Amino acid sequence: MTAATERLLPWIAIVNFALVAAVLVVLGRLATARTLTDVPDGRQNTAELVLDWFVDLSRRIHPGSVLLVAPFLATLFLLILFSNLLAILPIPLLRIPPTAYFSVPLGLALVSVLGVIALKAKIDGVRAALKHIVWPNPLQLVGEATHTLSLSLRLYGNIGGEYLVAVLAAQAAPWGIPMVIHSLGLIPATVQPIVFTLLTADFLAASAVGAGARHDNGPVARVPAPAHGNGVAVTEVR
Amino acid sequence: MKEILLIFIPVLVLVPPAVAAAFAMRKISSTAIEGMTRQPQIAQQLFMSMLVSMALVEALVIYCLVVALLLAGKV
Repeated sequence: MTAATERLLPWIAIVNFALVAAVLVVLGRLATARTLTDVPDGRQNTAELVLDWFVDLSRRIHPGSVLLVAPFLATLFLLILFSNLLAILPIPLLRIPPTAYFSVPLGLALVSVLGVIALKAKIDGVRAALKHIVWPNPLQLVGEATHTLSLSLRLYGNIGGEYLVAVLAAQAAPWGIPMVIHSLGLIPATVQPIVFTLLTADFLAASAVGAGARHDNGPVARVPAPAHGNGVAVTEVR
Repeated sequence: MKEILLIFIPVLVLVPPAVAAAFAMRKISSTAIEGMTRQPQIAQQLFMSMLVSMALVEALVIYCLVVALLLAGKV
């Protein structure tokens, strides 16, 4: 990494992140542009394949608000995944993953933590969300700050550390070795978005979303959660 | 000589947590794989739980990595 690249790193991170977001918006438009059919084919099948896991995850958190929770989780997952996968592009400046610059993971973690509070406020009302922050103990606030720190440091440590190792290896041995390190880096690049999304979903579930202020005046919160995914409860009953 | 010794301070910060996390991850993965082979029906759920618990262990090492990087910038 030259000195000029190092100086311009914030701008490179911003531009790359914006590019990833733009590409995702275009892909999302393309995948869902047509009217949806009952028997999916081609593009619709791909879109449903991508979204299925998030719909399942958010249904487990709160069956009544899948439409609110699933897009949030899916956006976080796809943004982080595509940002990490920029590292395998063979284009000089574009291959710097924005998540390897600490401000981007910090922003994503802030979005995650604040988004959990906002979703709680949207589903259960503002009072329940505020109560969740300070009750049973005002130390919950420290917990929220720690969540932000741990989420951002985890993402940055994995992707930035891998990128640093790749850069150092490329300086020491320009041929062959960086390819091995890049292919090993594919593992954290795909696992970290899953972990980030799962932890956000866990924070959302831990904030007892759907069990707050509106619990008594609507049937929404009383819908029983379905048997988890692959019919464990059914097999146990048999 | 002193410089060479100072280089080892970040290494000492990073290596013991990495070894400890390796043992913790061994425990997590072996237990999860055992559970998956015993009950393949819940393999997917176990895999997700395994990923989350591994991430929690890994986060501690990454804190140490950040501290080590800060120290490496200092010395």
